[in-house]
Amino acid sequence: QLDHGCALYTAARGGLSSVSTQDVPAERPRAVFHTSEGDPAKHTEQHEGRLYNIPLEEVKAVFPHGLPQRFQQQIQTFNEARVMVRKPALELLAYLKGSNFAHPAVRYVIYGERGTGKTMTLCHVVHYCSRQGWLVLHVPDAHLWMKNCKELLQSSYNKDRLDQPLQASVWLRNFKTSNERFLQEIKTQKKYMWGKRESTEEGRPLGEVVEQGLARVRSATDAVGVVLRELKQQSHRGSFRLLVAVDGVNALWGRTTLRKEDKSPVSPEELTLVHNLRKMVRNDWSGGAIVTTLSQTGSLFKPSSAYTPQELLGKEGFDALDPFVPIPVPNYSPREFESCYGYYLERKWLQHEKAHTEDGKAELQFLSGSNPRQLDRLAGPL
Amino acid sequence: SRHSTALGYSPASLVPCRIMPVRWSRYNPSYLEPDVKKESYQKPLEELTEEEREQMELKAVRPIKAAPPTLSSSVFSDPMISKFTNMMMKSGNKVLARSLMSQTLEAIKRKQLEKYHRAPENEKETIECNPYVIFHQALKNCQPIVGLSNITKGGKTYQVPVPLTDNRKRFLAMKWLITECRENKHRRMMMPEKLSQELLLAFNNEGPIIKRKHVLHKMAEGNRAYAHFRWW
Repeated sequence: QLDHGCALYTAARGGLSSVSTQDVPAERPRAVFHTSEGDPAKHTEQHEGRLYNIPLEEVKAVFPHGLPQRFQQQIQTFNEARVMVRKPALELLAYLKGSNFAHPAVRYVIYGERGTGKTMTLCHVVHYCSRQGWLVLHVPDAHLWMKNCKELLQSSYNKDRLDQPLQASVWLRNFKTSNERFLQEIKTQKKYMWGKRESTEEGRPLGEVVEQGLARVRSATDAVGVVLRELKQQSHRGSFRLLVAVDGVNALWGRTTLRKEDKSPVSPEELTLVHNLRKMVRNDWSGGAIVTTLSQTGSLFKPSSAYTPQELLGKEGFDALDPFVPIPVPNYSPREFESCYGYYLERKWLQHEKAHTEDGKAELQFLSGSNPRQLDRLAGPL
Repeated sequence: SRHSTALGYSPASLVPCRIMPVRWSRYNPSYLEPDVKKESYQKPLEELTEEEREQMELKAVRPIKAAPPTLSSSVFSDPMISKFTNMMMKSGNKVLARSLMSQTLEAIKRKQLEKYHRAPENEKETIECNPYVIFHQALKNCQPIVGLSNITKGGKTYQVPVPLTDNRKRFLAMKWLITECRENKHRRMMMPEKLSQELLLAFNNEGPIIKRKHVLHKMAEGNRAYAHFRWW
């Protein structure tokens, strides 16, 4: 068994556990909508609608990528990271706690309309898994691999496929930050050749493969493929639990806006990263879980009203992901809205004098339709 | 459609010429102004005075003019902000102008809040975080007191110091702010960022727009001798 002592977070945890044992911290009385319970494993129904704090060092370690842009700006402004505990996340955590890891990995698909909090639910689950000591394979947005790629190299491993060195190296760097200690402990099971001269022997730590990918950007995509393959083959042994978290999984079966040198369009199968990730999302391995999110926001050639799995994944994607556990994410309930509104007031985000009144609150609720993203955008200038 | 609602009102003296008024209101005088204040509809019948009761009955019978897009029943609407947004608008793209304005207000708020949260306790009260207060104060600081107008006397044109009306002062302050932000910024800098910078500087009585105001005041002071050329 690998040491789940979480040596990285002992300092942060020590600070947090002292806060959670006290009822009311000395600095200021916590309002009703805050909770001092910082461990997602202990979140229950009674914490629903409340915001819990993630210490900033932990945020940097667990989420080098993956948090939505607006949320990162909010962390910067408020100097703290507060995530709301909501029902879909609690449901997912309950499933994860009760799952049998000897069976093949279960796939969970988080879906919902635009701006309802799918990515934040995914981040909540990722935080829980990293606290529990799982190995987290977090792909922040699969849509980014389908568009705006400046360099497309022909893959040396398979002539038909195309490599994306920049995206792969960025992902490898962030993967290294979030899973440092696993990279030393997991060993490769095969010898890998990088080009004619360089190779990684069998039994070397996986960190070397990642270093190789970062040092030689040309082979970064192949390094990603190797990492995914090794993790998939070794997860069933039980020495570590693997969480595959993919945001915007409908990109893998959509279309790309990339073109080859002869201006012919590239289909997703021809991209090495997509090919390997599709193999990862299949349920032919055990010892972990696959949590994915559908996203229309970054998607290509999909109408803006599409949000159901059938519409966004298409026939091919649905058949590939079938069977999965669908988890719908609705807009804020009245309690969650109160909680969010109270938090903005407390952090002095709502500065307009009328925003403190009942009329202002009713107007915000009406205009946003209790949609988290709309509320955030409306509260910005106020 | 336009033809059914706006019956042109031509005064009796002009009727034989069949001239339709173009620049002024084409509504029939029987049309009433729209009233968007929530308070006027929330009062129960007993509390209304005689005139108000008559007004209510009149509203039930007479036709009402179409509400202009600037008229808002929202508690958050601010006439000065709407005016500024309209002045920032180019080729009728109000959506873009409004989004730029909201991004500006958000940028001001973020900068001030970051300063607030990082400041020590005793300085926290001095930091103003409300973007609306900052906007209004900055515009007030930018408003000139006297302006210059060209008066031709004896063949020569003189720059004569002249008092300005409130509307003119507000207009000049907003115009200077917008032209400054459009011209003197880096090609890649976004308008909200530059605007928020200028507004914060103007709030503290610094920056190029305050300088422009002072230059105007100095010129007016220098041309004091010609002040008696003004006849209004």
